[in-house]
Amino acid sequence: MADRDLRDRWHAIADRFSDPRLTIAGREIRVLGREKTILLAVVIQLFVAAFAGFLVVGLVSLYDPGSVEGYQIDAAVTGDATNEMLAAIEDRPAIDGTRYETTSEAYADFQDGAVNTVFQTTRSDGRIEVVMTAPDGSIETTLVVSEGQEALRALERNLRAERAGSLANPPLPLPPDTGGNPYYDFTYTILLPLLVFLPVFISGSITVDSLTAESEQGTLELLRVAPVTMVDIVDGKSAAMIAIAPIQAVAWLGLLSLNGVAVANVAPLAVLVAAVTAIVVALGVAVSLLAPDRRSSQLLFSVGVLLFFGGATLLPGGPANTAARLAIDSTTPLTWLSVLVYVVVGVGAIAAVRRLAEQINPNDL
Amino acid sequence: MSRGDRLRTRLTTIGRRLRRIGRIARWEIGQSTNSYNRRTLAVVAVLVVLVGSVGASAVALGVASPAPNTDIYRVGVAADSPYNAVIEDNAALTARTPSRSALATGEIDLLVGGVRQPTAGPGPRSPTLLVEAADGEKGAAALTAFRSAVQSYNDRAMALEANQTAAYPVIVELQYLPQSTLGPAAPTNAGNLTDGTDGSEGDADEDTDTEPDANDTANGTSGSSDGDTAGSGDSTAGTDDADGDAPPVADGGGGSLLDRALFGGGTSGSPAEIQPPFPFGSLLLAFLFLVPMNFVIQSYGSSVLNERISRRGELLLVAPVERLDIVAGKTLPYAAIAVAVTAVIAAAVGGGLLSVAAVVPIALTFLAATFLGAMFARSFKELTFVTITITVFLTSYVFIPSIFTNVTPIALISPLTLVVMELQGEAVSLGSYLFSTGPFYTSTAVLFLLGTGVYREEDMFSQKPVPLKFLDALDARLSGVRSVGVLTALFLPLVFIAELLAIAVLFVLPIEVSIPLLLVVIAAVEEVAKSIHIFAGFESDRFDRSASTALVLGAASGVGFFVAEKFTVVAQLVGLPDLQLGQAALQPAGIGITPSTTLLLLAGPLVLHTVTAGVSALGARKRLRWYLVSLVAATAIHAAYNLGVVTLYG
Repeated sequence: MADRDLRDRWHAIADRFSDPRLTIAGREIRVLGREKTILLAVVIQLFVAAFAGFLVVGLVSLYDPGSVEGYQIDAAVTGDATNEMLAAIEDRPAIDGTRYETTSEAYADFQDGAVNTVFQTTRSDGRIEVVMTAPDGSIETTLVVSEGQEALRALERNLRAERAGSLANPPLPLPPDTGGNPYYDFTYTILLPLLVFLPVFISGSITVDSLTAESEQGTLELLRVAPVTMVDIVDGKSAAMIAIAPIQAVAWLGLLSLNGVAVANVAPLAVLVAAVTAIVVALGVAVSLLAPDRRSSQLLFSVGVLLFFGGATLLPGGPANTAARLAIDSTTPLTWLSVLVYVVVGVGAIAAVRRLAEQINPNDL
Repeated sequence: MSRGDRLRTRLTTIGRRLRRIGRIARWEIGQSTNSYNRRTLAVVAVLVVLVGSVGASAVALGVASPAPNTDIYRVGVAADSPYNAVIEDNAALTARTPSRSALATGEIDLLVGGVRQPTAGPGPRSPTLLVEAADGEKGAAALTAFRSAVQSYNDRAMALEANQTAAYPVIVELQYLPQSTLGPAAPTNAGNLTDGTDGSEGDADEDTDTEPDANDTANGTSGSSDGDTAGSGDSTAGTDDADGDAPPVADGGGGSLLDRALFGGGTSGSPAEIQPPFPFGSLLLAFLFLVPMNFVIQSYGSSVLNERISRRGELLLVAPVERLDIVAGKTLPYAAIAVAVTAVIAAAVGGGLLSVAAVVPIALTFLAATFLGAMFARSFKELTFVTITITVFLTSYVFIPSIFTNVTPIALISPLTLVVMELQGEAVSLGSYLFSTGPFYTSTAVLFLLGTGVYREEDMFSQKPVPLKFLDALDARLSGVRSVGVLTALFLPLVFIAELLAIAVLFVLPIEVSIPLLLVVIAAVEEVAKSIHIFAGFESDRFDRSASTALVLGAASGVGFFVAEKFTVVAQLVGLPDLQLGQAALQPAGIGITPSTTLLLLAGPLVLHTVTAGVSALGARKRLRWYLVSLVAATAIHAAYNLGVVTLYG
């Protein structure tokens, strides 16, 4: 008896606090889990991350000799401009130059693999002609070519400095090459925006599918007898979708940090992702309420998202650049202003689609 | 008479089928255009115009910053320094007031100082700019970016010099020669600095594409913000050609076709024009060609799934039309759109027929995978994820080979490589074309075959989880023992694709981990391909669950796999020299399609494949759990064999 009282009272309390919108949001997330679709989404993102990681590591190790520990290129230098070439090679710590008296000796050593590259130099009417030979189709080819190119550019710089008198605008002096990672910004400007905005797109897409599925299966007609309104449904569904995107994004940032990529301004990044998600989800809601059927909604949504990201990227403070600048810690007042604008637009967009949902008769969908 | 009659009947039947396919295709087009009504298209048009005008006005006002790396490195530089022009030209750099305390607090990343003149002793022979970088990786990266920006700036300035001999004192010819092999011990194309004008247009385009990304974006903004440099083009090659006194810009008269095609960029000119093999151009192309395909498959998948959910497909099924015709008719309009879009893009990037022929198989694979996905999906939500998965996997599959550019043969696995080759004005042999597009054509056929197998009432209108639908699709293709072997053989292109993906993804790990792991993954992929349909056959009670049946099926599957594998080897040996390279490249990875001269080695894989397929078939007789256990066992045997071969011959 007392037990039953207690249960009744518990239900009464639960009823008072429960909100149909929360129920809808909870159900939406549970369905995602049950259909395993969200798992697939995470697998896709992991794949993208692995692939991008592969790209970064591959690019850095293949194109940046400094990252390959102790890799040394042995170069054979022959011909009449050997002295100049050797002086230029001296500037490059990753290359060792050796003087060869005859060309055939140099090529014989190249064939045997004793040297990695051959610079065959010739002087002709005021210029130095160099035939550079690199190994064909070997794993070091890129490394040898890019490092050899640096040596040749050093040679060119030295000669230009000597002939500065004949030039109208002598070249500006270069800073020294300290071997910084030339693909450092790739992680922040390509990989990170890709990872944090992919969940945004997925959230918006699910919103469209979820809403159009309801209208196509005619379940919205049940609203006539249910104690929820169209606005409640829109609220619940979009709240769930807006919630899961920043969570995924922050998880990616954590993964990046584990991999040694320092990410600054994590909280503002999460806010930015949530704001952009709000905009994209609002777009999803709007097209699924307005478009006549699912195919049109999906088309409009895809085009809309593409145009939104494309258009926003053209403006200063585009989402990818804003995320990159937050993460790499190069913020300016403009960056913070952009985040604020995204938040305001996001809130405005959600408010607008709620008004739209109020005006729409669910039976017409 | 009888022969002529038969021929005529044949032709009439084919004609009738083609007419039916055409009718279904028209119906599909009508339906789609109905569903995309005028209002939808009008909204799309308005959106495009709106965003286009906003973007155009942003560009016109000069506030556009399309590069994602805009202003990420902050350089402290005096207002009157000549380096301000460098920083303005480079999107990634932004100028700040120089201050040592700002450098210490991390508000700027670089501080530009004075210039040190060259000294008599060791050290550089040209003046050096002194720059202080902030501590840490970012400061070092900023310095590297700044250095490369100054270099590009100098290159552009030199192009405008009157005295071209002083501006370009060095001319380089780059050549690739094999090492440690028998062959001529002298350079094959030394001093071949000819052929100045021919094809330099394409070369110049390629040069800008293959530039490392920092420079790429710099060039982009300099084009939009800076009027005078834009005219002369991003690459110095353009101006050189116009100038009579310019250094000879040759198109690299020699080198193998592959070298020139895959190693992108120029092989001669001033040092700045030498391009290390860098696949940036092909990465960009991949995106350009693949983005519209996304829309096509989205629409196609929706149409197929809609048929299933609204049960409209039932009407088609009862019509006196074959299933294959229905599928062909439904697919035709989308394939046509894909071909048309590809042709437009190819024309836009300067490609020709070959580019279209190379990208179309990719488009077909997209459609085939989407068709199968739409046949399996239970809801539109599920379809969305299937579509995204297809896009991600196929896109990376055509990307990955570009990253292996320096391991030349692998790059040919992606048909996009053919596009790059055509853009550079190279002829492509039929062998290379078949090699890169073959897996795509065959995968398309296999996926459509599996899809049409379940294009029937009991599968289309029932709700089952995707894995069960998959088993149904496999089962629909089984009839007897021989069909098991045939199906295994048909899986080979898919196995090939999966293994290449595995190589790419595992590449990140250190080699001690990645090679053994790769061997295991490859063994697992092959074992699954050999046994999954046997499991499907047992699950649907198509075969009786006796041990002898399982062994017979396993043997059939093993033989099928072996024959298909050997068939690819034979195809490689029959005068397709490019492919031998690919095979050599794959061999160390343990993919093991080795044409062996000894009988033992030839018999080895046959025994292995039949034994392991037999093991997993025995487990497949029982429930899923037993199947998995036996699959693990088969994989272990296979991996051990692979490891043995690699240690013996690697």
